[in-house]
Amino acid sequence: MDFSVVIEYFPRLMQGALTTLELVLISGIIGSVLALPIGLARHSRRLWLRAIPYCYIFFFRGTPLLVQIFLVYYGLAQFEEVKNSSLWPYLREPYWCAIIAFSLNTAAYTAEILRGALAAVPKGEVEAAKTIGMRQVQLYRRIMLPRAFGMIMPAYGNEVILMLKGSALASTITLLDLTGMARTIIARTYTPIEIFLAAGGIYLVISMVIIMLFRQLERRQNRHLQPIAVRG
Amino acid sequence: MPENSAIYLKNIHKSFGDLEVLKGIDLQAHEHDVISIIGSSGSGKSTFLRCINLLETPTEGEIYITGEKLSLKRNKQGDLDASDARQLAAMRSRVGFVFQNFNLWPHKTLIENVIEGPIQVLGKKREEAIAHAEELLGKVGLLERKDFYPNQLSGGQQQRVAIARTLAMEPQVLLFDEPTSALDPELVGEVLNVMRDLAAEGRTMLIVTHEMTFAREVSNKVMFLHQGQVEEFGPPEQVFENPTSERCREFISSIF
Repeated sequence: MDFSVVIEYFPRLMQGALTTLELVLISGIIGSVLALPIGLARHSRRLWLRAIPYCYIFFFRGTPLLVQIFLVYYGLAQFEEVKNSSLWPYLREPYWCAIIAFSLNTAAYTAEILRGALAAVPKGEVEAAKTIGMRQVQLYRRIMLPRAFGMIMPAYGNEVILMLKGSALASTITLLDLTGMARTIIARTYTPIEIFLAAGGIYLVISMVIIMLFRQLERRQNRHLQPIAVRG
Repeated sequence: MPENSAIYLKNIHKSFGDLEVLKGIDLQAHEHDVISIIGSSGSGKSTFLRCINLLETPTEGEIYITGEKLSLKRNKQGDLDASDARQLAAMRSRVGFVFQNFNLWPHKTLIENVIEGPIQVLGKKREEAIAHAEELLGKVGLLERKDFYPNQLSGGQQQRVAIARTLAMEPQVLLFDEPTSALDPELVGEVLNVMRDLAAEGRTMLIVTHEMTFAREVSNKVMFLHQGQVEEFGPPEQVFENPTSERCREFISSIF
């Protein structure tokens, strides 16, 4: 084995890692923004309001992410309306197609996590908010959602890690993310072990950073569970 | 009649499926009344109290709070629910409710728990709400703990904060749902003391309780419920010493 190729191509690998991080970060943000209304609708008492996000979540959790990426990347071009629309310059870019697919996918998972957390807010705390005269919107904004966000963190951190690893699929639509970049380098150097090991190592480091980040967030969100008062 | 009473409930029925837990209860509470509601478990006392501010939706009945009629309409489950969410919220804000399990919001500090309602519901200014909250926390003896979180307190302390949170809304009526039942015996006294002070201030209170000595001492009327019906209602001397109902007599003698 010749690890000098790793050193030689390290800057290119980092470039790929940067694309990976961009994909995860942008789709993570779009996904969680989408997840909020979807999760809230899933938690609704009204059947019709629950049904729409249910179908959405059912589809995105029930089909492979790869199929979803292909549907966006290859599928959209089939429609003349899409090709003639002003969004076409974006929609034909693999980068934006990957972001669309990832965002929609993670939104489905995150919405389901949020729904679970909303359902887990103790009934008594909700009743206490009602008895002081809070209306629905206040109840969600002041009590339900802050409580749910505290409970979400471990599960959502997990989802972000899964998304990080899922983002490797972006390489199948010609994107030069970390995996895509590794494959390109290997095609040139014929050193799959060295380069894939290096890529795997970079994924590991990113995962660890994400885990630590979420552990911090979790600690912050749940500081009220500490046995003694923490000031600051 | 409903106009000059703090709370007026007429013919409250409540069924859970085939089980009828409340079989037509009337109650009128005037201002400054302290009414204890007693009875064995399963008699429907908590359900009845929760019907007053619609935490439980009655199957039948009318509800007047400080003279205002709560408009009700039948929902899909066949119960009566508020037809106007705005009116319900406004009326609830005038009725304080203290739970058996305190139900403080654990993600907020004590002071945040107390100012939440005044700021969000009553639209008070923050400084004003904080000043009032500090006064109330002082009153229940927990001012120096104001930046603690609920989980860092004992049950008795949490219940005292819950009472302060309720008082912060400046309610016209206070409802207590077995406020000491979830407490360790040595913590019951501190909560009862706070409630005793409130009664002495002339507040209108409805108390579901198992603390008979306390009920006898602070209330001016006692209601004994049995299987969803009022079996005995009157001043504590009557209910505790000279009950007309056989069931009430049995209940009282089983306790003392």
